[in-house]
Amino acid sequence: MATATQFFAKPWVRWAIIGLVVVLMIVLPLILPAFANQTLARIGVFAVAVLGLNVVMGYTGQVSLGQIFFVGVGAYVTAYGVNNDWNIALVFILAVLIPGVIGLLIALAAARLGGLAIAMVTIALPLIGVPLAKRLSEFTGGSQGSSARFSAAPEWTGLYDDQWQLYIVIAIAGIVFLLTRNLVHGKYGRAFAIVKGNEAVASSMGISPYRYKVLAFTIASLIGGVSGFLYMVVVQYTSPETMSFGHSITLLASMVIGGAGSILGSLLGGAYYVLAPQLTNAVDSSLTAVLQGVILLVILFVLPGGLVSLPRLWRRRKNEHRGMPAGGAGSAQAATATIAPTAPAYVVPDTSAPEPIPPTQSQEKRQDT
Amino acid sequence: MGTFIQLVIDGLSAGSIYAALALAIVLVNQATGLINFAQGGMAVLAAYFAYSFIQWGVPLILAILLSILVSFVLGALIERFLMRRFEQGDPDTAVVVTIGLLTLITGLCGWIWSFNNLQFPSLFPVQNVNILGAVVSIRSIGTTLVIVGIMILLQLLFIGTKLGLALRAVAVNPQSAAFSGLPVGRLLMVGWGLAAGLGAIAGALIAPSQTLTPGMMDAALVYALAAVILGGMSSPIGVVLAAWMIGVLENLAAVYVPFIGYDLKIAVPFILIFIVLIVRPQGLFGRKEVVRV
Repeated sequence: MATATQFFAKPWVRWAIIGLVVVLMIVLPLILPAFANQTLARIGVFAVAVLGLNVVMGYTGQVSLGQIFFVGVGAYVTAYGVNNDWNIALVFILAVLIPGVIGLLIALAAARLGGLAIAMVTIALPLIGVPLAKRLSEFTGGSQGSSARFSAAPEWTGLYDDQWQLYIVIAIAGIVFLLTRNLVHGKYGRAFAIVKGNEAVASSMGISPYRYKVLAFTIASLIGGVSGFLYMVVVQYTSPETMSFGHSITLLASMVIGGAGSILGSLLGGAYYVLAPQLTNAVDSSLTAVLQGVILLVILFVLPGGLVSLPRLWRRRKNEHRGMPAGGAGSAQAATATIAPTAPAYVVPDTSAPEPIPPTQSQEKRQDT
Repeated sequence: MGTFIQLVIDGLSAGSIYAALALAIVLVNQATGLINFAQGGMAVLAAYFAYSFIQWGVPLILAILLSILVSFVLGALIERFLMRRFEQGDPDTAVVVTIGLLTLITGLCGWIWSFNNLQFPSLFPVQNVNILGAVVSIRSIGTTLVIVGIMILLQLLFIGTKLGLALRAVAVNPQSAAFSGLPVGRLLMVGWGLAAGLGAIAGALIAPSQTLTPGMMDAALVYALAAVILGGMSSPIGVVLAAWMIGVLENLAAVYVPFIGYDLKIAVPFILIFIVLIVRPQGLFGRKEVVRV
């Protein structure tokens, strides 16, 4: 394993893997069947939404239950713009900026509040958003929703629609993921981490918790807007149901299942968001809700750190098997080292993004008392 | 004037149900520091239990009492075998676990008892009385009185009994409580059980007016959460007052403010929260938490 880690840490190996991923992204849409392409595109859409949630919640520690609202606003702006024949670049910019501005305004007030109060203010967004979308039927088409077809493949490409849409999603989502990765691994990421860890310490270091909370929330809204635009690219239809409270909660669950505070976890979260209902529907449609609940609980019971912590868990098991000490400094090392093989394209060993503390130790202690 | 009184009393009755659920949420939050999103779902499950008991020929009042008992046990078991694993870890994960629990319970209810609306008999006679020229249903008055009674009982439990003292000790500082010989785990189970029992009462009170469906409590849960924030986590009485305020104000706003109407009345408590929290971040009645560095 150690040799494998060293192998993956070599620069040329990383570049080779990045290259491989890029080639796969270009080739796969051409050879996969249409249904797989559509599913992948939807995963991309919701991975971006989860990524936005991760910025505000996973990295900055502010519980947001309203992320889906920004996705919905982005989708509605896109639909409205397309139906009024605006330039598509302008539509994209507006679909990102308008949710961002709304997010900024809400954050300016909500970030004054601590802890759960932010959760309660953001819980209101989808709850008010749905009836409001029905009410403002001039812009939104009321309960009927509104559809916009603009993502058909152009003639010159010779592609099918689903391939073209997947390429758009891959390109935009890829850029957003890359930008976010750079953001959270840099100066801002460290500031977010300390705001999450301890606001008093943050203030004493000259980092205003208020300012960084507003920043994180605004970035999350912007990314939500991007996700909304992509949603329209893929689904081509939006209704008030898009931003319902249930979806917002599922988005939150997806983030934690994928892995809070992790770029790769966002991708896994998006996959969970799309695949879990498909899977449970395929098993037995009358048991969908039961199975989803069970899957959610089982994943968290086995992996409280989310799917992204699977390699770490595996590694620790292996160490215990060999009789090596697990946990403590060793497990922290393992944490940074073992993610690398699975996420060479994104993860740099970096202390600024704190991994969730391996919970087993405290639990063992707890069971004794 | 008649409409006004009617709206206020109906609002109080709706607010009472939010209050019962909100008290349950506060109970769990004070003991374990997390928000239980499944509280509403557990209440619905309790209502379905009561429904089944009634189907088996158990008298209504006994069926409700039985469902409260079953809920108590179930709440304690959920704490012991599900939540305890997450209580020391990342709070976000614990919250999502309760969301998973909500999904699971809702699904189970729908699977066992179907998603159709079921008729649940009312504890109070379906009659109206005349108060100052307003026609008020006995159910509204009864619901409100039941909640007032429960609030008094809870207050007595927490202030007047040894169990209440122990529960409060665990809430304030679990570690110190353990050092002074309190069975912390068992007390947490009792806390969750009490919360589930309270939820069961809310379920039995709301089921007759809304008819029994798996999603019956979803809106009530949101209002209850709003009441919890508005009243302040640390003040049970404040939470009940806030819940009443929400019930009454949303009823009045739906009728008297044309733009709001019935579809947007859910915005009322949140506009209220927004204003209150900016002026008083600790809630209307809560104490300011002092964080030591």
